[in-house]
Amino acid sequence: MGYLVLALVAGLAAVERKGFLQAMLSRPIALAPLAGWALGDLEGGLLVAAPLELLWLGAVNLGAALPVHEALGTTAIAGGAVLAGRALGEGTSPEGAILAVLLCAPLALLGRRADRLVEIWNERLAARAEAELLRHHARAAVRTNLYGLVLPFAIAAVLAPVGAAAAEVAVPALLSAVPGARLPLRVGFFAFAALAGASGAKALRARTAPALFFAGLVAVLAGAALLGRLAT
Amino acid sequence: MSAPAKVPPLTLARVFWRCLFVQAAWNRRGMQNLGFAYAIDPALRALYPDADRREEALRRHLGFFNCHPYMAAAIVGGAIHHEEKVASGAEPGAQPLQYKRTLQGPLAALGDGFFWTALRPFFGAVAAVGALLAGWPAIVGALAVYNLIHLVFRLGLFRAGYAKGDAIVGDISRLALPVVADRLRSAGAALCGVAAAIFVLRAAAAGGSSGAALATAAAALGYLALARGARLLPAAYVAALAGAGAALLYGRLHGSS
Repeated sequence: MGYLVLALVAGLAAVERKGFLQAMLSRPIALAPLAGWALGDLEGGLLVAAPLELLWLGAVNLGAALPVHEALGTTAIAGGAVLAGRALGEGTSPEGAILAVLLCAPLALLGRRADRLVEIWNERLAARAEAELLRHHARAAVRTNLYGLVLPFAIAAVLAPVGAAAAEVAVPALLSAVPGARLPLRVGFFAFAALAGASGAKALRARTAPALFFAGLVAVLAGAALLGRLAT
Repeated sequence: MSAPAKVPPLTLARVFWRCLFVQAAWNRRGMQNLGFAYAIDPALRALYPDADRREEALRRHLGFFNCHPYMAAAIVGGAIHHEEKVASGAEPGAQPLQYKRTLQGPLAALGDGFFWTALRPFFGAVAAVGALLAGWPAIVGALAVYNLIHLVFRLGLFRAGYAKGDAIVGDISRLALPVVADRLRSAGAALCGVAAAIFVLRAAAAGGSSGAALATAAAALGYLALARGARLLPAAYVAALAGAGAALLYGRLHGSS
């Protein structure tokens, strides 16, 4: 049942991402908690939402350029982290989440390749619409547009549960085999998340981005250090 | 002389709804051509009772079209503005095409620069920091504000395009979107720094001072590496694995894991 729910979430996100609306519902910050919630673990989805949003902040469709498929990657990672935590009987953890990231993030690249196939498929749809219009079937010609939503839905609905299933099997096996790796992996998750923050700042392409990124980083750390000192 | 042809308000609402599907069948040959034809079709049906004229109008809108999906609403609205004149005999059939050709490039650049590389990443960063500090309600709040802005813009552009046609250019330029975009990008970069610092503090909670040092190094060195052209996903793997590896080594050296 979990895989079916995940397939539906991934498919709808893939449609929202480009074909319909573009209201940020397929961005990692919304999609990861949604996937977690759909699988019964909102907090598990929230754990990976912010790092993935920042990591892929620059994944935007500019002109004909194709970005990585951040929605596919996010659904697989969030779903994999939640299902792996459930398989371990302990809920979603940073150490499980980082293993899910390492296993499923390449799906975002695979999704970009799939997007290229979708574009080729859509060229056929455009030719079909022109042919329908030549046959004076105007309604059929314009309706062809909606058929373009089918393939992105199907690709994401298949690949995301496959990635999550791989994480559900591999993550508990790895964590059980090397229990001493848990704390280091937990630190690895936060190192990854901190890099994701850097990726977000870099993606914003502002002239002042480096200065402002480091200023934000240092200001919060200095504030925390000061508060820590005041508290003692 | 007959009254000028007008598209009924309900049909305009239907066209606006269909504008949300403008990229449904994006392709490399015609790009958003199918989406544009799909969106404007209800208006063409209202304007051209004669099937031959309707098909001719639909054919001209099946040609190449590409714009930012939000800004495309302005061009769909403006194309209807011109199609009403064509249907009334006040303009030649080439006029709506001329309008589309003239505006699609500049509006695409403006939309990409404002919405895709400034407003959306800014709200992504706001939502990420909010989620780290306050959980899911912050995400809902950030997305609600983003979509309020997005839909007000999208609907406003459609209405302005329909009402004013070519005169919409002046309205859009008065918004000074590039200036606002620069400020949003700067604020977004600072928020990314704040988010990275929160992760460093969480690393400290998980792995002590060594965890904090590793996460700080990942943020600082990661930024420098990405700025020098390092690829994102390999950099993310290096950060995660080097962080875990260093923590493991530190644990071994200090007798714990």
